[in-house]
Amino acid sequence: MKQFSQPLPPRFAHWLLTRLHPEETLEEVEGDLDELYTYWYHRAGQTQATLRYMLNVVSVLPPFVRQRKQANQQNEQHSRPGITMIRNYVKIAFRNLQRNKGYTLINVAGLALSMACSILIFTLVSHHLSFDNFHSNSNRIYRVVTEMHRDNIGYASSVPSPLGKHFRNDYTFAEKIARIISVDDQLITLKTEGDLKKIKEEAGVAFTEPEFFDIFNYPLLEGDKKSALLEPNTAIVTERIAKKYFGDKNAVGKSFWLNNQIPFRITGILKDLPANTDRKNEIFVSYPTLKAFDRWLADDIDGWGGVRDGVECYVLLRPDVAVAQVEDVLSAYVKKYRPTSKNVHHYKLQPLIDVHFDARYGGAMEKKNLWVLSIIGLFLLITACVNFINLATAQALKRSKEVGVRKVLGGVRGQLFWQFIAETALISFFGIAVALLLTYLTLPVVNDFFSTQIVINPFQNDRLALFVAGLAVVITFLAGSYPGLILAGFQPVVALKGKLSQQNIGGFNTRRTLIVVQFAISQVLVIGMLVIMSQMQYTKQASLGFDKDAIVMVPMGDDSTHVKMNTLKNEFLRIKGVKKVSLCYTPPASNSSWGNLVKINNEETNFRTSIKSADDQYLSTFGLELAAGKNLFPSDSVREFLVNEAFLRKLNLKPNEAIGKIIAANGGNMVAPIVGVVKDFHDASFHQEISPILFASYRNDYSEYAIKLNMAQAKTTLAAIEKAWLEQHPDQLFEYQFLDESIARFYATEERILKLVEFFSLIAIFIGCLGLYGLVSFMAAQKTKEIGIRKVLGSSLTQILWIFGKEFSRLVIIAFLLAAPVAWWTMNQWLQGFQFHIEIGLGVFVIAISGTLLVAAMTVAYQAIKAAMLNPIRSLRAE
Amino acid sequence: MRRTYLGEFEEMVLLMVAILDGEGYGVTVSQALEEHTGRIVTFGTVHNTLIRLEEKGFVKSELGGATTERGGRRKRLFRITALGSRALQEIQQLRQDLWQLVPPNALQLSGL
Repeated sequence: MKQFSQPLPPRFAHWLLTRLHPEETLEEVEGDLDELYTYWYHRAGQTQATLRYMLNVVSVLPPFVRQRKQANQQNEQHSRPGITMIRNYVKIAFRNLQRNKGYTLINVAGLALSMACSILIFTLVSHHLSFDNFHSNSNRIYRVVTEMHRDNIGYASSVPSPLGKHFRNDYTFAEKIARIISVDDQLITLKTEGDLKKIKEEAGVAFTEPEFFDIFNYPLLEGDKKSALLEPNTAIVTERIAKKYFGDKNAVGKSFWLNNQIPFRITGILKDLPANTDRKNEIFVSYPTLKAFDRWLADDIDGWGGVRDGVECYVLLRPDVAVAQVEDVLSAYVKKYRPTSKNVHHYKLQPLIDVHFDARYGGAMEKKNLWVLSIIGLFLLITACVNFINLATAQALKRSKEVGVRKVLGGVRGQLFWQFIAETALISFFGIAVALLLTYLTLPVVNDFFSTQIVINPFQNDRLALFVAGLAVVITFLAGSYPGLILAGFQPVVALKGKLSQQNIGGFNTRRTLIVVQFAISQVLVIGMLVIMSQMQYTKQASLGFDKDAIVMVPMGDDSTHVKMNTLKNEFLRIKGVKKVSLCYTPPASNSSWGNLVKINNEETNFRTSIKSADDQYLSTFGLELAAGKNLFPSDSVREFLVNEAFLRKLNLKPNEAIGKIIAANGGNMVAPIVGVVKDFHDASFHQEISPILFASYRNDYSEYAIKLNMAQAKTTLAAIEKAWLEQHPDQLFEYQFLDESIARFYATEERILKLVEFFSLIAIFIGCLGLYGLVSFMAAQKTKEIGIRKVLGSSLTQILWIFGKEFSRLVIIAFLLAAPVAWWTMNQWLQGFQFHIEIGLGVFVIAISGTLLVAAMTVAYQAIKAAMLNPIRSLRAE
Repeated sequence: MRRTYLGEFEEMVLLMVAILDGEGYGVTVSQALEEHTGRIVTFGTVHNTLIRLEEKGFVKSELGGATTERGGRRKRLFRITALGSRALQEIQQLRQDLWQLVPPNALQLSGL
C-alpha cells in the first residue's frame, strides 16, 4: 500500500547510502534513517529533515561507520597471526632471504646506508636545534646587537661596551642585564712551586658581570654565583679547566696569570659547559678587572666610539615588555652618544633562539642548511624504500608460482600478506643493525667534520631510540605492504599458469619515473660537486696579487717593545735561510682587519678603509707591486701613506692625482700624504670585493713578523727562529703559521660543503644504481623468452645487450635533461656568492652525463650479459 | 577482577537500551537520548556505539519485524546482556561508593 503522507528523503543522499554503506547493516540503517526522516519531517519541517538526513547519511558512510563483523569470522582469525604463525613467518622469511642472497644483500645494503645517513642527519639536526634551549626563560633572553649603516649595512653581534651599564641604569625593561666581553687566544701562566707553566687558551677568557649566571643556566659546583665575580681579579673556571690546570687538587683559591700581567684568584668552579651551547670560553673573570686589561673597553663614559668583536650584552626582559619598546629607547643612545658619526648604529634585540642560526651575527649553523640536510635525509629514506619496492615486485615474478601454490593449498590473502611483511621486517631489522654499526663507526669522522661532540647512544637518548624504532616500523610497512598486497592478491590460476605480465605487478611506468627522479637528483649533486671543485681549484690557483708561498707569520710576544722588535728582526735576518723580514699588523690577506672612516683632504669618507701597518720591507716581502709613486721610507711613525687601487676607485681618483693628498686616519692620530699606489690584490676571500686599503709604518700597531724563508731548509730555519724568539720572550709561547695555510682556511666552509656534496652524490648514485639494478633484473626476468627467440632467430650478443642499453640510457638521459637546468641554476646562484668566480662550462655537463652513463652501464652489465648469454634451449623449453 | 571498560557515551547508550527493554533500536535509542539527556548526536554515532557494545558483549541483537513506515525494511533490536547489566551495576556501585567518600562540605559553593 502506498501512503501519500509518507515523505520521501532526498534521493541523492539515499542513493549514496545504498552505494557506500556496508552491506551487512544496510537494511537496518536504511530503515532507521527513513523512520527518523519521517520523525524530523513532522517535527521540524522538510528543510530541517532533509539537512539532518544528509548529515546523518554521511555519518554512516565509510570511514565513519563501524563495520559489523560477518557471522563467518574465519577470515579474521587467519589474518591476525598468533605467536606460532609469526614464528613460522620469520622462519620462512629467513629461508627465502637465504635463497636469494644477492637480493637480500642489495636490500640490506641500500636500507642500511640510507638509514645510517638519516640517523646521522637526525642527530646532527636535533643537536643543532637543541642549542641553548636549556636555559629557563630562554624565550625572554635577548642579545643586543648592532646594525651598522654606512654605504651598506653591516651586522655585528657586539655593542659598544658602555651600552649595558647605561641601559641598566636608565630603564627598567630588563630583569637582568649582563655584559660579557670575551677575548680569545690568550696566554695563561701558572706559577706553582717555582715551576712555570705556559698555556695558550684559544677560547680565551671572558670578562663577565655576575648577572650572567642569573640569566643563563650554567650552574656553579663551588662558590656563590652572586659574589664570585664581584671583586677585581677573581675568576670562575669550568671543572675541565680546573682539572687541566691543577689536576685533582681543589682549584678554589688557586691563582693564574693572564698575559703574565694580571693575576686571578679562582673563586668558583663551573659545571662543564654542555656541547649544545655557543659559549666557548671556559674561564670567566670578573668585569672590574677589565680596566687592567684594556682601558678603552672598560671606559663606560667615552667608550661609544665603535664596536669591537666579543663585546656582548645579554638582557632578560620582563615578561610584559615588547622588543620594539626596547629597540625604541636604544635608538636614543645613538643620537646621544654618536651624533656625528657617519657609521650610524641601530641597536637591535636578537632572541637567544636565533643566536645559533643567524649567520649575519656569526651564527654557527643556518636553519636553511638544516632544512637541506633533513630533506636529503628524507630523500635517501624514500629512495631506499622505493628501491625496496622495486626489487620486491621484480622478485614477484619469480615468486608467483610459490604464491599460487600457497593459495591453492588454502593460504588466504592475510597470511600471505603477513609473510611478506615478516620478510621485510627481517630485512629492515638487519638494515638497522648495520646502520647503527655504520653510524657508530662514522660518528668520529662526522664530529670531526662539523667540529661537534655528538654522542650517539640510543639506549640513553630517548628521542633517538624513538626515531630509530619509528624508522624501522615505518620502513617495514611502507616498503613491505605494497609488494605484500600485490603478491598476496595474485589470482592463483593466473599465477600458476605463469601468465603474469607487468600490468599485474604494479605500474612499470611509475617505476621508470622513480628511477628518472633518482638519477636526476644524483646528477644535480654530481654537477654541483664538479662546479664546487673547479671553483675551489680556481681559488687555490688564481693569482692573489701577492706572494703567499714560503712566508711564515710569527706573532710578536705580548711584552714586545720597539727595541725588542727591531733586535729580533735583525736577529732573524742573520739566520741562514731567512730571505726577508717585515714588521706588520697583518699579511695582505687576513681574516682580521682594522678599519676606519678616514678623511681625505679634510673630507670624511663614507666607506670603511682597512688600515695595515707595515714597514718599508712589506712590499718586497710579499711581492706587492706599485702602480704609481714610491715605497715608504723606513720610519717608526706615520709619515707617509700608501693606498691601493680600490681606495682610489672609491674616490674616482687617478693614481697620479692621488699622490700628495693628505689623509687623516684613526680619528686624526695619523695624518700624512699619499706617496704611492699599490696594485690591487685580494685582501680577503674571493667572496668579497677588494677593500680600500691604507699602508703606513706605525710601530705601535705591529703585531707580527712576516718572514720570507728559503723553503729548502725550512725546518732548521724555523728552529732557529724559535730559539731567537724565545731568547727575547722567555715567558711567552712561540707560535707560527704559514701564510698559504691560513689563506686556505678562508675556504673552510666551501671545503666542507664540497665534502658533503661529494658524499651525498656518491650515496645518491649508489642508491640510484640499486634502483636500476632492480629494474634490469625485472626486465631480464620478463624478457627471457623474447631473448631466447631472438637468439634462435640469429640476433648477436650486442644486439641483445642493446635491448637493455636502450632502456637505461633513455632513462639516464631523460634524468639528465631534467637535472641540467636545475643544477645550472642552483650552482650559478652559489657562484654569485663569490665576487670572483668561474663560469660554468659545457665540460661539467659532459663529464656528469658520461660518468653517470658509465656507472649505470656497469650496474646493468652483469644482469644484461647474464640474460643475453642464456642458452635459448633453456629459456624456451618450458613452453 | 578485570575492570569493565565502558566509555561515558557507551554507558548512556547502554542505559537507553536497558530503559527501552527490548524495544531499543537505532531510532528509539537516538530519540530516547535526545529526550532524556538533551543530546543531539548523529545517527552514525549511535549506530557505531551499538555495534561496539555488541562486540564487547554488553548487548545482543536480532533482526526484528518490518513496518510500513520503514518501507518494509527490518529493524535490528537490541537487548542488554547479563554482562551489560552487570557492567552498569558496577558503575553505579562505584559511583555510589565514591559519593560516600566526598566530605560533606566539599561540594558546597564556597566563598564565591
